[in-house]
Amino acid sequence: MSETINGATSARSPWQVTRSVWYAMFMREAISRTMADRLGWFWMVAEPAAFVLIMVAIRSVISGDRLIVGADFIPWMIVGMMGFFMVREGMMRGLGAVDANRALFAYRQVQPVDPVLVRCFLEGMLRTFIFLLFILGGLLLGLDIAPDNAIRAMLVWGSLWCLGLGLGLVVSVLGSLVPEVGKVVRMLSLPLLILSGVIFPLNHLPHDLLEYLMYNPIVHGLETLRLGFFEGYKVVHGTSMTYFWLFTLGVIALGLLLHVRFAQRLKAK
Amino acid sequence: MIEIRNLYKRYHNHHGSDWVLKDVNLSFPRGVSVGLLGRNGAGKSTLLRLIAGMDSPGRGEIERNCRVSWPIGLSSGFQSSMTGRQNVKFVARIHGGGFDVQRIIDFVEAFAEIGKAFDEPIKTYSSGMRSRLNFGLSLAFDFDVYLSDEATSVGDRAFKAKATQAFKDKVGKASLIMVSHSEGILKDLCQAGVYLRRGQAVWYDDINDAIAAYHEETTGQKA
Repeated sequence: MSETINGATSARSPWQVTRSVWYAMFMREAISRTMADRLGWFWMVAEPAAFVLIMVAIRSVISGDRLIVGADFIPWMIVGMMGFFMVREGMMRGLGAVDANRALFAYRQVQPVDPVLVRCFLEGMLRTFIFLLFILGGLLLGLDIAPDNAIRAMLVWGSLWCLGLGLGLVVSVLGSLVPEVGKVVRMLSLPLLILSGVIFPLNHLPHDLLEYLMYNPIVHGLETLRLGFFEGYKVVHGTSMTYFWLFTLGVIALGLLLHVRFAQRLKAK
Repeated sequence: MIEIRNLYKRYHNHHGSDWVLKDVNLSFPRGVSVGLLGRNGAGKSTLLRLIAGMDSPGRGEIERNCRVSWPIGLSSGFQSSMTGRQNVKFVARIHGGGFDVQRIIDFVEAFAEIGKAFDEPIKTYSSGMRSRLNFGLSLAFDFDVYLSDEATSVGDRAFKAKATQAFKDKVGKASLIMVSHSEGILKDLCQAGVYLRRGQAVWYDDINDAIAAYHEETTGQKA
């Protein structure tokens, strides 16, 4: 399995090979993600901005009375939405990662797990940058969006990144082996937006219903992220980062196992 | 140099799964170029993929004690939405190009002679352009064994001559394992031959004997 070039006789270690694959793939993905679409950069910022504007417009028309305890509505929603997009995009980017890079499996150095990891990493970097832009923009507009507990906010942000990675790993394998999985995942993304409490606070829902909604790990992450931003924020009852991390570690482990188990089948397809 | 022992391979599909390769034992010596012969579907490309390490055997093992290229051919190895230059850059990087990346790009651009198309997406390429690029790319690295899956079949005359010359220059430094249906090029470049039939492989020390065996099968079926 040794691979060398032009007279260099020493074989590269597996780690060196993997690192050069990640580097090459990162450069490739970064270019196609930001440059391939017309106005790719513009839409990356404009899409969430338009989303916020629409939601704010709807909310101010239907009801202004549902107050969120300890936070203003607009910053509350921006924070939740950014956290949710972090998870969702991690998952969606993973979904197409294997198929989009199928041609590159001709080189034995490239494994199906590589594009998924690289895409999730890249997506996280981009989302972080966009979030910072939004915070900066919000502050300039006079919104109260500066994190009160920045350490907690950053830790939870990283945790959401990991959840997106875990889900991306799982759906990248299942979605490539069973195409229907991809369709279901895409369908789920809209209801998940509402069920995760991005637009409407879950506090107002009856307790019986909430009990089931709290199985969704994204809620736990988003609520804790908001707690990091707004000191006096009252999180939904039952929010637990322990549950969140158990779930996240579970899906990451499952995703990696699936990749080990089905690596050959993903390549051969 | 490349040892294949008790190799079995099959692909699972909905209508059962027959063995594509059944108990293949081969040993490719250093510096000997080998032509793979057999009818369509005999398992030539599968064997090449297995040697390249793209796929793993169902049973048995392959030992590679040398640097082996990817299977150079029409279908594989390029991401169609990226330009030729980006693809070359990518491959140079995964092979640990480092500071050599620019030199490799220049070499491939000069060898492939596809002009401005080098900066166009691969999906706009003709099959001949694609094989020029893939071929040039593989020559930019010093492999011990080059695997060719009909890589030269779609090239025009000038390119065929150039590719043949490039391999003749490499005699002594590198060898070739090639699948081709044009016997002229096999006789030109290969010394030994392997004839695949119903999943079994037979080694011939002389490529002409392998071609003769292949002819015998095909004419035998016509009669």
